[in-house]
Amino acid sequence: MNIVVCVKAVPDPQQACNIRIDPVTKTLMRCQVPLVLNALDKNAMRAALDLKEQFDVHITALSMGPPDAEGIVRECLALGADQGILLSDRAFAGADAYATAYTLATAIAKIGPVDVVFCGMASSDGSTEWVGPEIATFLDLPVVTMVEEIVECRGPQWKVKASLAHGYRLMQVQLPAVFTVTRKLNTPRALVFSGIINARKKSIVRWGIDDLGVPAEAVGLKGSPTIVSKLTTTQSKREVEILTGTREEKATQLLKKLVDSGVV
Amino acid sequence: MIDFTFTEEQEMFRKSAREFAETKVAPKVAEMEATGEVCDEVVKALGEAEMMALTIPEEYDGLGLGYIARLICLEEISRVSVATAMMLQVFALGIEPIIKFGTEEQKKKYLPALAKGERLASTAVTEATGGSDPTGIRTSYRKEGNDYILNGRKCFITNSHIADTITTLAKDNENPKTFSTFILEKGMEGFKPTHKEHKLGMRGCNTGELAIENCRVPAENLLGGEGKGMRVALGAIGDVGRGGMVGCALGLQAACLEASVKFANERILYGKPISNLQTIQNKLAQMKIDLEAGRLLGYRAAAIQDNGGRSSNEFAAAKYFTTEAAQKAAKMAVDIHGGYGCMEEYAVSRYLRDSFVLGPSAGTSDIMKVIIARWVLS
Amino acid sequence: MMKNGYGPVWVIVEQRDCRIRTVSLQLMGRAQKLAAGLNTTAEAVLFGNLMEHHVRPLFAAGADRVFLGSNPQLAFYEPEIYVRAIVRLAQEHEPEIILLGSTAMGRELAPLVAARLQTGLTAHCIDLVLDENNILEQHIPAYGGLLSIICPQKRPQMATIAKGVFPMPEPDPNRSGEIIPVTVPEDVSPRLQTLEVVHEVPDEIPLESAAIVVAGGAGAGDPDGWRQIADLADALNAALGCTRPVVDEGWAPLESMIGQSGRMVSPELYIGVGLSGEQQHMVGITGAKVMVAINNDAKSPVFDQVDYGVVDDCRAFVPVLIKKIKAYQKNQVTC
Repeated sequence: MNIVVCVKAVPDPQQACNIRIDPVTKTLMRCQVPLVLNALDKNAMRAALDLKEQFDVHITALSMGPPDAEGIVRECLALGADQGILLSDRAFAGADAYATAYTLATAIAKIGPVDVVFCGMASSDGSTEWVGPEIATFLDLPVVTMVEEIVECRGPQWKVKASLAHGYRLMQVQLPAVFTVTRKLNTPRALVFSGIINARKKSIVRWGIDDLGVPAEAVGLKGSPTIVSKLTTTQSKREVEILTGTREEKATQLLKKLVDSGVV
Repeated sequence: MIDFTFTEEQEMFRKSAREFAETKVAPKVAEMEATGEVCDEVVKALGEAEMMALTIPEEYDGLGLGYIARLICLEEISRVSVATAMMLQVFALGIEPIIKFGTEEQKKKYLPALAKGERLASTAVTEATGGSDPTGIRTSYRKEGNDYILNGRKCFITNSHIADTITTLAKDNENPKTFSTFILEKGMEGFKPTHKEHKLGMRGCNTGELAIENCRVPAENLLGGEGKGMRVALGAIGDVGRGGMVGCALGLQAACLEASVKFANERILYGKPISNLQTIQNKLAQMKIDLEAGRLLGYRAAAIQDNGGRSSNEFAAAKYFTTEAAQKAAKMAVDIHGGYGCMEEYAVSRYLRDSFVLGPSAGTSDIMKVIIARWVLS
Repeated sequence: MMKNGYGPVWVIVEQRDCRIRTVSLQLMGRAQKLAAGLNTTAEAVLFGNLMEHHVRPLFAAGADRVFLGSNPQLAFYEPEIYVRAIVRLAQEHEPEIILLGSTAMGRELAPLVAARLQTGLTAHCIDLVLDENNILEQHIPAYGGLLSIICPQKRPQMATIAKGVFPMPEPDPNRSGEIIPVTVPEDVSPRLQTLEVVHEVPDEIPLESAAIVVAGGAGAGDPDGWRQIADLADALNAALGCTRPVVDEGWAPLESMIGQSGRMVSPELYIGVGLSGEQQHMVGITGAKVMVAINNDAKSPVFDQVDYGVVDDCRAFVPVLIKKIKAYQKNQVTC
């Protein structure tokens, strides 16, 4: 069984709040935030690894990103993926979800016959949730988003539960198919030393635009139907009053303010 | 010349160790502080995370990773819990003599279980009559047929009550200048842990006494040959033991700096965070300098060790520097926290107590200087 | 066919048990305004079963036309059928704009339609306006400010919007419009089928309608800290919401996450406890009368966005506040 897990290198969410719009130049302020593996992609990896325990499975970790993103692909190898592919080329830069999905779909088609594609439901940056479904469309595959449980996965017809705001829908899917997964699906595997050692003998292949054989207009900024037209900073309309005093005094003051405003 | 960067693989080791420390050890720190006892779940988690297998060769079910990897792990674990890092480092200390001096049979017998964390290790050298001066020990052995009979008491032994295998130094009853090292095993008749110490710091790491009374030890438990005891026992302490202390100290230094930066950014005095004040910045800068310097000393010694060279002198310098620096860092961290630094709910008060135990472990600072002077004068 | 002017503004409408969902009506209201700005019509696309007599609210909300697929096969959201039908309609009628609610269905359907139509799509917008060239500016919060996204060339311009971003339109009962029946595509393969849809009734106070909302963040520290914040919500009879880190820790479910890709709230009183005022969360709060923050970091951005701030460790402050509230409530009991 061939499984592709699409993974993304994102700025570490714990430090990502440091990336801010400069109020004067209206561009992003330069900030050195390290790249990490997108959290939901770890759930996607685990879904593939669980299948590898039951069936004869080959897992490819696929990512589109700058050269720095290779680290997270290697992390996927250390988690248990068999092979890594990094799509890296200046031509891919500036891609919106559509162009990203197109590029990834082209790479998946180049990998060969695939049974399952797993994606995290969303990335912690961007967070559109579009890439999984759009990959499915470009590959003409069925897709189920927000998968919270894989109920039946023996054979070519799967049953999966997809989350609703309150509840779920039970879907029957014919493989090959694309699934985007939620946190509810599983608990990601820890990165262990023996996995890191085993990753030494696995390879990461780099593909650029020539390897994919796609025109420059189809990928990156040129291939993106949407663009950012401007960045603006927002002003808060509230002036804060910081309460002072001992803990008891502050609590008393706060309650009084709330009662006086009529909200309590 | 020298490449001071970690490899991508080493960065992954660090990531894995940090995730482990934060998810498996951190939640247990409060319990360890309260009870002072080893937390079984932490020991189990360490085994599952392959932490005891780092330095054991692959042919004995270890990971064969070496001492830089080990230092990275200890640093990351100590940042969360010095007690746990100390416990882990002494596991490796008890394992090392078997790796270096064990016969093939001994290695096959002991190492695989130790690698999996199914059995735990320690080393017993120190006694009331000698720690800094190991030749002053009184624990003795005499030959009786194919066995040895050992008698004595060891004190201040880390992992005394949890270890299954303890490499123990004893002197020849007939020849007090002759020493041998034996592998004592939990449950051997005449060998048992007795008194448990209640330490002011590194709570969660077990320290205690071992009583050896007419303990019959078979010849196959002699490690490294008769008369080679000092070399066997102290050899490991010189690099693995000191190297382990460096890991404990570096992690504590990093924790002190992080806590100090966080507090200094949050504490408002004179209308601004105190991180704006020069006296605070002075302390933060000192902590940073000591951390950078300590890392260089430690990782260089570990690199020499990984290359097969002798590193005990370099580790003596690193051990001295980092354990002293950690004690200073902890004091500075507490000072930065002001009154809050004395409160148990602030981690820095624990850091201060932990820092005291770093000094006398694996050789006091004064002994380190003696060793380094010898190095210089030789 | 020569087209003068702009194609229609569409809303892909969602129904549940024959009731038009709130977000669809809110989007219909906005669609009507956008259509007016483009001098074109606002239209709805709705699939379901037995829906013929339930479309009036759409006209009242601003629709000029409703494309209605009413058929047992369309009762549940069937992705492959819905996508095929919508794409066919869009290719025929060439809408200028298509809007969908950020519901589970909308978030799956939108990219499937957009990719088929080879056009752009923006997620979780917090505003939609027409710029000076009548291009749809799609606003999303990011990096502490606002990004304006546009889809300059491709059509339709597509966006998803969460419930609560736009207000419920004033229903105009005098408005009426055309219903155009849509046939179910016959040629859809059965490779993907909905077997069952299970709705669970939430037992907490719904966030959107709560007068008081208490939201907790990573500053809760651990489940015990989280419980304290939940106790505070109880004491105030408030709805309990959270930020993403809390969902990641597993202390609260995704359904209670307030923010750009979560729930929108507009309470009288909002209290943020142990959260940093991250933009993605704060945009989920609209029109609160009074906002309060409790956070131990005096430099936290949350304090720029509230009326009253307490700089303190929430784990120590919240129990004290609860005590005061309970004492006050006791004194309030009247005969």
